[in-house]
Parts: sequence; structure tokens; C-alpha cells
Amino acid sequence: MTHGQVVAETEAPEASTPPQAGGWRINEDWAATVVGLILVVLVLVGIIGKGIIP
Amino acid sequence: MSRAEAVRPAAPALATEGFARWGWTAASIILLLLLGGLVRFLDTNVATWFPKVAWLKSVEFPVYAIAVGLVGGVVLGALGLRDRLSAAFRTEFLIKTGLVLLGASINLAIIARAAGPAFVQSVVLISSVFLLSWWVGGRFGLDPKLRAVLSAAVSICGVSAAIAAAGAVAARKEQLVYVTSLVILFALPSIFIQPWLAQQLGLSHVVAGAWIGGNIDTTAAVTAAGTIVGDDALKIAAIVKQTQNALMGVVAVLLTAYFVFRVERVEGVSVGLGALWQRFPKFILGFIGASALATLFINASADTKGAGDIVATAGTNLRIWFFILAFVCIGLEFRPADVREAGVRPVAVFAVATIGNLVLALLLALLLFSNFHLS
Repeated sequence: MTHGQVVAETEAPEASTPPQAGGWRINEDWAATVVGLILVVLVLVGIIGKGIIP
Repeated sequence: MSRAEAVRPAAPALATEGFARWGWTAASIILLLLLGGLVRFLDTNVATWFPKVAWLKSVEFPVYAIAVGLVGGVVLGALGLRDRLSAAFRTEFLIKTGLVLLGASINLAIIARAAGPAFVQSVVLISSVFLLSWWVGGRFGLDPKLRAVLSAAVSICGVSAAIAAAGAVAARKEQLVYVTSLVILFALPSIFIQPWLAQQLGLSHVVAGAWIGGNIDTTAAVTAAGTIVGDDALKIAAIVKQTQNALMGVVAVLLTAYFVFRVERVEGVSVGLGALWQRFPKFILGFIGASALATLFINASADTKGAGDIVATAGTNLRIWFFILAFVCIGLEFRPADVREAGVRPVAVFAVATIGNLVLALLLALLLFSNFHLS
């Protein structure tokens, strides 16, 4: 592996996931995408209705 | 007893540690929800408690959320509990989930129409502000790696860009901490100052949104400022900011190449294009996906107005909760000590670049979004 690849692929932290000791290991971008889309689907099919969220 | 068994911690101790960690995480989530509930309560009631104070009616929930977070952070810091209770303080996750939900309330056609001017604005702003900050950093004698991290942060999207740039140029951890502290130091007042300036300048909500999205560094602060101006401003600010976010990968790859080939002059090196995808903010796909889903749902419904109401009411309330929790986290995570350690020179460079960004973003917003209509 070349130095450039080391810099680009190994040392670089995930762009949107700040490194935190002891924190969750989940990629927050994907987590936000999945959670957000699931919630959108729940809203669209009516499971999360108008009156549920205060 | 083998050597491995002697070194390995006892199982009951590990179990106790695990329970304690889960306990603190649960306490952290409960605390965050309670603070979010307090914000919702204040947002609903403060103006009614003081009916004679007219300006209180225009105070939006981000103001209460950040104030509650800041006070909460001070209290937790004084009690020595902030680090233990920080597991649920996930500003990035909460704001990005809220933005995916925001996507559901924007018609896909609007995103497609706004993407063009937003892309032009982002490319011009990122390159100009990055080069300005890089040049000023050089005049102030900053280390090249610190200049790169700082310039990426001020020109693209704050903390995320700083992290991407720090990885690209292999910056030291302290340099990253300096810059992320500066980002928060400048973003917090911008949340309140820029909406006020937009009002004083008489900008339309669309132009104000484009200005906010182009200037303020962190996505969370952009969302807060856009919310204070209004719903249309929030939509445009989110589209502009996410276009900038999408360009983060390109900047990170260019920075990697520049440092490898020009600054460090390493022989026989290649920079993988896979880094582009690695650094692409994937939640943008969720934002567009949510918009597509909601647009399809509304268009396919027999009762288009009713379907639109469902998305508008339930989706908006849900999104507001995520934003409230994210803004509370901004306050909770703010640490004045980190900012004090940053020193004067990086602050001066950041200030100059921010002023340049403010002026240029206003000009571009006026030029590209004056004739843009959401409906």
C-alpha cells in the first residue's frame, strides 16, 4: 500500500463521524438515513399520525 | 493460571462495567428527552407568560434549545457528569435524521430546480473562501496542516469538513480540536446574528436561506438559523448546505493529493478515488430519497391535499423534535475551555475568512436566488 492510500483510506476518519472514545461505532450518516427513511415511511402509511407527536 | 487468564479482567468486573455503561447511556437519553421536553414547553408557553413583551412571540425553538443546552452543559460540567452522560449527545446523527425528514416536506422538483444554483454557489464559495483562508493562514504563519483543516472547515461544512481534511492531510489531533472549537465558537452567534441581518437587509426568505446555507459552517447551525427565518428559508438553506456537504469528498481528495505531491513530496504515491465515496455524506441520499417517497405518495394519492397534510403535520412535528434534540446537544457539547486553548492567530484567520464568506455568500445568494420561487 502506498503512502497516499494510507493517508486517504486508513488514517482518515469517516467524514461525518467525529471520533469519540467509548462512543457508538455506527456510521452516523447511514444511521440517520435509515432511521429518517423508516420514520418517513411510518408517517406516509399512517402509523405515525397527526396526533401522535406532541 | 495461564498468563492470558491472569491478564484478562474478571468476568463479573466486565459485566458490572457493561451495566454501568448501559446505565449511563440510558440516563443520557432520558436527560436529553427531558431537556427536549423542557424546550417544547418553553416554546409553547413563554410568550403567553409575558403577553406584553411582543418580541418573545418571534423567538423560535432553536433559541430555547441552545439556551437550555448551554445551561445544561454548565450544570453537568460543574457536577462533573458531562462526559459520563454524553453518550446520547449526538448532534450530527440527530440533525441528519431531521434533515432526512425535512426532505419529505420538499417536493423533488424543487430540489432538482434548486440544485443548479446551489451547486454554482457552492463551487464558487468553497474555492474562494478556501483560498482566502489558506492565504490569510499563510500570512499569519500557521502550520500548513492547520491551515488546511481550518480552510476546509470555514469553506465547506464545519466539523465534518475539518475531520475529512484532518484525515486527508494527516493533521494532529490537537489541530482538529482547535478547529472544531473555532467552528462552534463562530457558529453559535451566527445562528442569531444572520437571521437578524437578513431581516435588516430586507432579504426574501429564499435569498436569506441561500445566504445562511452558504455562510454558516455547521449543518446544525444552518438548520437553526434557517428555522429562525422561516420554513422557506430552512428548505433553501438545507439544499444549499447539503450541496456543499456533497462537495466535501472532492475537497478531501484534492487536499490529500496536494499534501502528498506538493507539501510532503512523497514518491510513487497514488490517491485512491474510493476516498470520494468514503467521504461523501450519505445522509444526502436519505434527504433525496425522503423527498422522492413523499412526492410519489402525494402524487399517487386520490386526495392530494389530505396526503400533503399528513406529511406536513406528522413529518414536521417529528422533524422539529429531532432538531430540538440536536440544538440542545449543540449547547451541551459547547466547551469554552477548548476555544480558549485555540489561541489568537487561528481565531483571527477564521474571523477574516468568515467575513469574506459572509460577503461573498450574500452576493451569490442575491445573484442566484433572487428570482427563485418555491411554489
